Amino acid sequence: MAPTKPSLKRKASVVEANHADHPQSDDEFGDGLLEGVLEDESDDEESEVEDDDNDIEGDTLDADDDDELDSDDIPTDDEELGKKQLTNGAESDEEDVGPHYKIETDANGGTRYVYDEVDPVYDSDDTDAQEPVNTIGNIPLSFYDSYPHIGYDINGKKIMRPATGEALDALLDSIEVPKGWTGLTDPATGKPLNLSQDELELLRRVQMNEVPEEGYDPYPDTVEWFTSFEETMPLSAAPEPKRRFLPSKHEAKRIMKLVKAIREGRILPYKPPEERQREEEEEEEIHYDLWADETPRPPNVMHIPAPKLAPPGYDLSYNPPPEYLPTEDEKKAWEETEPEEREKEYLPQKYDSLRKTPAYDQFVKERFERCLDLYLAPRIRKNKLNIDPASLLPKLPRPEELRPFPTIASIEYAGHEGRVRSVAIDPSGQWLASGGDDGTVRVWGLADGKQQWKVKLSSEDPVDVVRWRPGQETSIISAAVAEDIFFMIPSFGNPELEQTSRDILDAGFGYATNGKQLTTANGAARKDPPAKWTRPGARLEDEGVLLKATVRSPIKSINWHRRGDFFCTVSPSGQRSSVAIHTLSKHLTQIPFRKLPGLAQTASFHPSRPLFFVATQRSIRCYDLQKQELVKTLQPGARWISSFDVHPGGDNLVVGSYDRRLLWHDLEMSNRPYKTMRFHPQAIRAVKFHRTHPLFADCSDDGTLQIFHSKVVSDLMEGPTIVPVKMLKGHKVVNRLGVTDIDWHPQHPWCRVASIAKKTKNTDILVVCNTIQRNDDVSVAQPPLTTEVAAFSHVVEFYGLYKEGMPSQASKDHARFYGSQKDHALLKGTSNGMNQAGTNRDAKETDYRASKPDARMP
Amino acid sequence: MDTEMGQPALAEVQQIRVNFTTTSPDLQLPEGRTQLLVPADIKRYGLSRVLNSESMLNTSSPIPFDFLINGSFLRTSLEDYLKANGLSAESTVTLQYVRSLIPPVFQASFEHDDWVSGVDVLSDTARAGVWSGDKFVTGQDRILSASYDGLLRIWNKSGNVIATSASSSLGGHSASVKSAKFLSASQVASAGLDRTVRIWKYAEADDHLSGTLKPTLELYGHKAGIESLDVHGPTGRVLSAASDGTIGLWTTSKSSAPAAPAALLPGANASASKKRKIASSAPQRGPLSLTQPHTSAASAVLFDPADATIAYSASQDHTIRTIDLTTSKVENVITTSHPLLSLCALRRSGGGGGVLLAAGTSARHITLADPRVGAAATSVMTLRGHKNMVTSLCASPDNEHSLVSASHDGTCRIWDLRGARAGTRAEGGGAVSESVYVIERESQKGAQKSKSKSDVPGRGAKVFGVAWDRSWGIVSGGEDRMVQVNRGRDLLAAD
Repeated sequence: MAPTKPSLKRKASVVEANHADHPQSDDEFGDGLLEGVLEDESDDEESEVEDDDNDIEGDTLDADDDDELDSDDIPTDDEELGKKQLTNGAESDEEDVGPHYKIETDANGGTRYVYDEVDPVYDSDDTDAQEPVNTIGNIPLSFYDSYPHIGYDINGKKIMRPATGEALDALLDSIEVPKGWTGLTDPATGKPLNLSQDELELLRRVQMNEVPEEGYDPYPDTVEWFTSFEETMPLSAAPEPKRRFLPSKHEAKRIMKLVKAIREGRILPYKPPEERQREEEEEEEIHYDLWADETPRPPNVMHIPAPKLAPPGYDLSYNPPPEYLPTEDEKKAWEETEPEEREKEYLPQKYDSLRKTPAYDQFVKERFERCLDLYLAPRIRKNKLNIDPASLLPKLPRPEELRPFPTIASIEYAGHEGRVRSVAIDPSGQWLASGGDDGTVRVWGLADGKQQWKVKLSSEDPVDVVRWRPGQETSIISAAVAEDIFFMIPSFGNPELEQTSRDILDAGFGYATNGKQLTTANGAARKDPPAKWTRPGARLEDEGVLLKATVRSPIKSINWHRRGDFFCTVSPSGQRSSVAIHTLSKHLTQIPFRKLPGLAQTASFHPSRPLFFVATQRSIRCYDLQKQELVKTLQPGARWISSFDVHPGGDNLVVGSYDRRLLWHDLEMSNRPYKTMRFHPQAIRAVKFHRTHPLFADCSDDGTLQIFHSKVVSDLMEGPTIVPVKMLKGHKVVNRLGVTDIDWHPQHPWCRVASIAKKTKNTDILVVCNTIQRNDDVSVAQPPLTTEVAAFSHVVEFYGLYKEGMPSQASKDHARFYGSQKDHALLKGTSNGMNQAGTNRDAKETDYRASKPDARMP
Repeated sequence: MDTEMGQPALAEVQQIRVNFTTTSPDLQLPEGRTQLLVPADIKRYGLSRVLNSESMLNTSSPIPFDFLINGSFLRTSLEDYLKANGLSAESTVTLQYVRSLIPPVFQASFEHDDWVSGVDVLSDTARAGVWSGDKFVTGQDRILSASYDGLLRIWNKSGNVIATSASSSLGGHSASVKSAKFLSASQVASAGLDRTVRIWKYAEADDHLSGTLKPTLELYGHKAGIESLDVHGPTGRVLSAASDGTIGLWTTSKSSAPAAPAALLPGANASASKKRKIASSAPQRGPLSLTQPHTSAASAVLFDPADATIAYSASQDHTIRTIDLTTSKVENVITTSHPLLSLCALRRSGGGGGVLLAAGTSARHITLADPRVGAAATSVMTLRGHKNMVTSLCASPDNEHSLVSASHDGTCRIWDLRGARAGTRAEGGGAVSESVYVIERESQKGAQKSKSKSDVPGRGAKVFGVAWDRSWGIVSGGEDRMVQVNRGRDLLAAD
């Protein structure tokens, strides 16, 4: 390892020496295996290889043993020879031992020891000293071309250039080429480089692809260096290692394993197989009956037994009856269909005998399909919700239990020539007033349908509204024709009544100037008073029309205050003066609202409190007449309110609208409707509460009217119960106008006192707008539908006259009603919250509008 | 057909032993012939033919018979009846045979100018004829009709108007007359919406082809229109029911009647703008008594047929009240469940006498009530079948178990109380009967077809008044401006 560099130098310098002293290398190359090679070769590369090999060897072998092994193990004949030569050389050197130096004077005059060239002893280790070595280093020799020497040796002596022969010599040399001549000059020595015989032999061998070393046997006989035979003399003198005489732990571990296995019985001593079998047979088997004490139990509720295969039928027989055999067409059809779509997976086939029946080729497939069916088809027991839908519906009383209510038409009041626009029943319940397109007001006997009185108010304009003045002490009809309100006293042969009525009508003439005073008091320089109160003219006066009030625009609605002194009129087209409150006793007209949001539709007084309701198209405003402020604004949600009525109790309101809705408002609760009902296919024209019974009715353009039972309880926690009880049909619809107005019979006051019977007669009256082709056929049809009739509608049923389907109608109403009530439950839930949120806004609105109502009512 | 002879032939048919009885003396079967074996499937017609056969009654011309078992008519075959009633076919069935009914065929119509509100008859069998006694001239059968035009008309049998009352300007009623009654052959009482009860003297010419109605008395006192009127000839008392619930008792005697209340007299209100010049020749009187037992309009009032001091009044306040006229006190109150519009009294011979009140209601049926104070059940029976309000009632002149009713549905119905059945639960239980005959308005026969289902029942043909007399038959008047006369004899089986 160490000698790489020196060896390089050496190689560069000494080639000849190698040849000359080739046994010197014996020491170095002690490797037996390479012995043959090393002896013959002194090539640079080879030596390198040797070095390497030597290194490797040094690595592998123990340092101690190296020398020994080398020296001891490889005693070849050649080496022994070499050794002998070496010793010889050493001996010769030792002979001329003397002073190795000469003393000279140097340039300075000092003494200088010039040593003799060291003649290394042959056996010296210093191989470098064998020949003069050029010490110029690694520079090109060309630097010395101009010098006679080519470098210096270790002692600083010039190494002289070897003499180059004369050109002739060179020629001669070239002619007589010595063996091994290459024509090259050895750069290290400057001599012609000739190859030795050995080198040539080596090259030849390499060229011949032979093993380069001569005499090398690539396949030597194996030398059994280590054999099982114990030599008398051991190869190694090393003491026995400790492990040789200590028990092995690893083995002990493995043995313990085996011991354990033996102990546990996992390793059994060998027994011949037959013996073992015999033993096993002898060993008695013990069986345990796990299910010995099991009692049969019913299967789990969720257990669903696998569906059984259907038993084979005739068509599965090997010899089916001919009717089961498929025809050609059927066969063809079966073959053409997809296997998945076939009804049967097989075709019935006929064989003469069972012996001739082939094996069932589909057997495996069929079993497989069956397994798939059982495994993949989920057998889940589905729990069906078995809820009676009726039990989810809210409990409403049956209509039959809510009697009395009107059920059938019973009287028709015929005589009007044209549409009837309005009806009203007088406070005593004996007379019916009606007004219509023929400009007449007629009074009919309620019970017999006989026209008792008639007056023609106008030949052009229809009578829009007819209303009786409340109170039984008078019989005054107010009727609106265009802008005029007429007050009339029908004559029934009762002069006292007529006289009191007359007095009441005439009383206001004492205040005739009031109209002017009002205008001045208002401060506004109005050109005309809100209304003119005059006598209607001699002709009408003779017929009983005693008073006329003319307002500015056509009146569509009249509603009286319960005391009979005030009444309000609404003329939707009247702009600022659309709502007017009149005082009959003073012939006074006031315009309470200067401005209204939207067109006023109708107005009404509260049945007991000093409240005033005004309906515009979309909302209903409630004003306190005493405090002169807005109390509440109801938002029914309808697009165009047609009419409304206040419950006699005063806390509820029902609104009908042209967009087919009927809305129930609880005044205490919210400004949103408590219930919205949409039962009519056409616009609702009028709604009316019965004054004493828990009934209300609406009438619609579809020619029907619906009767509702509405129970209002004083308990605040409970909302009103509204049950549709009856739909009355039969009115003809002409020009898309059905029933225009509705009024209930008033109740007799004794009912509250005596309460012997449930009630007196109540009659509800409705008017059809009938414009039939012939003029005189135009009639009012107003069936007074008595409660008594209703109570015994089963009688009708008994006689087979019930064909109109009254019960079914009732139930249909019922059903429809449920829907809306459900809706309403939701609506109610939300409206409570909205109500709270809305209160603040309401309060603000109240402040804002506090000054608005301009009611001068006492 | 002799059943005994036919017996072998009908061997397979079950035989039932029947026992025929009758109450009519002229139709008695010979002794020993009353028991027969008849096939079980025999019906009324077969039984009637058996009775008329030679071996039985041997009548010259066949008399149709009806048969009563246990007081009700046999409407099915005998077998079915036995089955329905759970009777054994072995038992002997007692069949009471009565003359069968003949439908009340139309006889005549008398046309009016306006709706007819009430009718009354005068004949020797009618009440007024009986009261008249000797004054009644035989053959002087008249019909009195009250009309909405305020006039009374008296018709003879040939449909001629014998007399018409004066118009309002001549002392007649100034408004519609709602009710009119013969007091006797020469006296008529009427009342109407003009709140007066008027007594007229009716006199006929000798040829009985013309006559006069002269007002003899004007009775004032009611403050509302009078709906109903009843008279009692022998005592000259008149009862009136007004729409304000008051009941008035009046006398026809000028001398005994109190003076009329001045405030109610025409012309009392000087300020009335329209003062009619009234040529009132008749004296004006007031009521003997005027009570207000009802809280709602009184719709009918009548004297007890046996006792003129007792009156019954029906009202729209659901009650029938028994009024003792001597004290003007309400003796008894019967409350029904519906407004009452009409009332009539049926005599009752059995059960201690008394009357049975039939009241027509606005609920389209007729309620029969027992007015006796101690009666256990006031509501006796309900007659169902009308399709509209029942406005007038009249008892049969022949017997105690039938009556005729007039209704707004344009029909008159004849009822036999014997044909009762138990009411279903829906009908409210009790005994229920259905009408025997229905009399349509003759004037509406042609217009029947144009009626649609949705129409009001009896549109244009409301019947307001009906009267039933033995000689006249059934007389009814109504909205069709007709007084219609139907045959009324032998309509119902006598017993």
